[in-house]
Amino acid sequence: MVSTIRQLFENDYDEEGFRRCSVTGLDVHRSVETHVKLFGLTAVVALIVGGIFAFTVATTRWELIGLLPEDGYYRHLSMHAWNILIFWMVFMEIAILYVGGPMVLGRKLPLTKLAKAGWITMVAGALGVNYSIWTVSGSQEAPLLTAYVPLNVPMEFYASAIVFLIGATIAALPFLATIWFEKRGAPDKTLPLVVFGAFITSIIAVEAILGGIAAFGYALIWQLGLIETINTGIYRQLYWIVGHGTQQINLLAMITVWYFLTHVVGGAVLVSEKVSRSAFILYLFFINLGAAHHLMVDPGVSVGWRIFNTSYAFYGAAFASMIHAFAIPAGLEAGRRQRGFGGGLFGWLTSAPWRNPVFSATIFSIILFGFVGGITGVLMGQLQLNMTWHNTFATVGHFHGTVALGTTLAFMGLLFFVIKTMFRRAFISERAASLVPYFYAGAMGIATLMMMYVGILYGVPRRTSSVVRNIPGTEFSLSAAAPLMTLFGIFAVLAILAGVLFLAVAAGSLLFGRRLESGDDGGMVPDGGVLSDGGDSVHAADMRGTFTLCLVFMATFVLLYVLNWFLLTQLWSIGA
Amino acid sequence: MPNPLDPPEGNWWDEPVNRRESIWLGIAGLWSLAIFGWMSGFTRFGEQNPIGETYAVDPQEFQAAVAEYKDAAGETDEGYLVPPGDSVYIAGLRFHWDGLPVVLEANREYDIHLGAYDVQHGFSIRPEETLSKQINLQIFPDTEWIVPMTFEEPGTYHVICNEFCGRGHNGMHGTLIVEEN
Repeated sequence: MVSTIRQLFENDYDEEGFRRCSVTGLDVHRSVETHVKLFGLTAVVALIVGGIFAFTVATTRWELIGLLPEDGYYRHLSMHAWNILIFWMVFMEIAILYVGGPMVLGRKLPLTKLAKAGWITMVAGALGVNYSIWTVSGSQEAPLLTAYVPLNVPMEFYASAIVFLIGATIAALPFLATIWFEKRGAPDKTLPLVVFGAFITSIIAVEAILGGIAAFGYALIWQLGLIETINTGIYRQLYWIVGHGTQQINLLAMITVWYFLTHVVGGAVLVSEKVSRSAFILYLFFINLGAAHHLMVDPGVSVGWRIFNTSYAFYGAAFASMIHAFAIPAGLEAGRRQRGFGGGLFGWLTSAPWRNPVFSATIFSIILFGFVGGITGVLMGQLQLNMTWHNTFATVGHFHGTVALGTTLAFMGLLFFVIKTMFRRAFISERAASLVPYFYAGAMGIATLMMMYVGILYGVPRRTSSVVRNIPGTEFSLSAAAPLMTLFGIFAVLAILAGVLFLAVAAGSLLFGRRLESGDDGGMVPDGGVLSDGGDSVHAADMRGTFTLCLVFMATFVLLYVLNWFLLTQLWSIGA
Repeated sequence: MPNPLDPPEGNWWDEPVNRRESIWLGIAGLWSLAIFGWMSGFTRFGEQNPIGETYAVDPQEFQAAVAEYKDAAGETDEGYLVPPGDSVYIAGLRFHWDGLPVVLEANREYDIHLGAYDVQHGFSIRPEETLSKQINLQIFPDTEWIVPMTFEEPGTYHVICNEFCGRGHNGMHGTLIVEEN
C-alpha cells in the first residue's frame, strides 16, 4: 500500500530535480509536482465523501424514494455541501495555484514546509468540520453550508472552519512567494496569462478567506458566550464574503484552467492579451461585491446598497465573464483555423479531439457554465427577480450549473490530464474515460434544469426533505411538481453514477494503469502535434464561428430574461 | 503564437483586437447596461419590488407587538384572524407562523409586518391554484420588515418556511385567505 502510494509520487527527474513535460513543454520541478499531487489526491477524497452524500441527499429530495428522515437529511446535506463546495474545490484550487505559478514559470516550489503545514492544517480543519457536523446532537442543529446565526450550530464547527481557512491561507503562501520571486527577478517581464489568472484568483481567495474568518469568528465568540447577542444581518454580510467568495475562487480557477486546457489539448491560441487580462482585472474589482446578490430579499439593507452591489458591481463581473465567453472559444477557433483544421463555420470545432476526455470535459464545462450557470446567476441577481428565485430549488439548480457542471467538469478534465502528464499513467480504459464527460454532463445537465424548473414554476423550496408529496401537518403540498421531481431524481442518480465511473477510471488508472514511457504524450497533444507557422497575426484570424455561438448565447440570455420578468409581473403588487 | 503559458512578447497592449471581438464587447457591454437600467427603473415604475421600511427590533418587543395586534384583531367562525386595520403581522417561530391563518380583502393594500422570534426563517408564499406565482422573502429575528402587498386574486395562499430553521422546519406552514369584499 505504502509503496503503491510512494510510486504515485515518482517520476524521472534530472540531477536538479527537473523534467520536461512532453505535452506542455514545461520544465517541471519535483517539488511542484509532488505538492500538486498531494493536494489533488486529497481533493479527490473530499469528492468521494461529498459524492456519497450527494446520493443520500438526492434520493431524499426524490420523495418517491425519500431515503432519509428529516433529522438525518440536514446532517447529510451539510456533509455534501462542505465536502463538495468547499473541500473538493479548495484543495483542487491550491493544486491549481501551484500549477499556475511555479510549474508554468518553470520554478521550484518555495517554502515547501509551509505547503505541507498548510495541507496538514487544512486536513485538520476539514476533519473537524466533518466531525462536528456528524456529531450534532441535542438542541444543536446541523450547519448546512451557511451556519446562519442565531441557529444553535456547534462551536466546534465554527472553530474547525476557521482552522481550514487559515490552512488554505498558509498553503497559498508558496504560490504568492513564487510570484514575488519571479517579479523581483524580472520586474518588467509580463506574467503568462495562466499565471496572471492564478494570481488574481489568489487575491480573491484572500478576500474570501478574510471574510470567512470574520464571519465564523463572530459566530464563534457568540457561541463561546463572549458576546451576548449576534446581529443576523451583519453575520449574513460577513458570511457571504466567504460563502460566495469561495465560489468566485472556483470561477477564476476554472477560467484559468479553461485557458490552459483549451491551449494544451485543443491547440488554442490567445486572441488578445489585453482583452483577456482586462476581464481578469474586472473580476478583481467587482466579483466579490456581486456576492451581495444573496441579500437581495433581506430586510435591513437599503435599495441603493442592493442596486449598487448587484448592478454596477455585479455587471462589471458578468461583463468580464462574457468577455471570456468570446475569448476562449475564439482562441480555439483561431488556433485551429491557422493550423488548417477549420472548414466552414464550425469545422474548427467539429474536427477537434472530442474523444479526448480532457478536451470534451473542458468544452462542456464552458458551454454549460455559460448557458446554465451564468445566465441564471445574472437573472437571480436582479433585485426583483430574486424574489422568485431566493431559497427555491432553482437556486440550487443555479449553483449546480456553475459548480457541478462548470467547475467540477473542468476539474475532472484537469485530473484526467494530470493522470497522464504528472502521474504518467495510461487510462485503464480509453473508452470509459472518453465516455465520462458526455455521461456526466448529460445527466447532471438535465438534473440541474429540473431543479430550476421545479423551483421557478412550482416554488419548490431548497433545504427541506419533504414538500412535494407531503408537508407534515397539512393537506397542502406541491404535488404538481412530482413528475419533474421524478425526472430530477433519475438524472441526479445517473449523474452520481457518472461520477462513480470517473472515480473508477481515475483510481483504476493510478493504481493499475500502464506507466507512460518518457516522451509518450498519452494522446494528449492535439492533431499529432501540428504547429502553426505563425502566419497571419492572430487578431486577423477568422472568428465568425465563435461570434455565431456568442450570438446564440445572447439570444438565449435575452429570452430567459424576458420570460423571468414576465412571470414576475404576473404577481400581485408587492413592495413600496 | 501567443499562448497562455508563455509571457507575451513586445508591446502586447497595443495589439489590435479582432473586429468581431470588439463587436461582441459592445453587445455584452450594452446588455449589461440595459439590464442594470431595467432593474433600477423597475424600482420606480414596477409593481413588484422587495422594498419596505425596516426597523431593528428586539424579538421580545416584536412578539409583544404581534400579541397586541392579535388582541385587537377580529376572528372568523373558523378562528382565522381578521386584521383591525391595514397592518398585518406575520412572525416566524420554530415551527409555525404566528399571525396565520389570516383573512384579507382582495384589492386592498396591507402593510405586512414580517419578523421572527427565534432564528431566521423564509417567508415563501403562493396561491393554491397557481404554484408558479410565488415569492420569497428572508426574515430575521432582530429586524421588522414592513412590505406593502395588495392581493388581487381571491383564494387560499400558502406560506411555507424556506430557510432552514431546525429539525421540524419541514412542517412550518400557514395559510392566508384572500376574499372579495
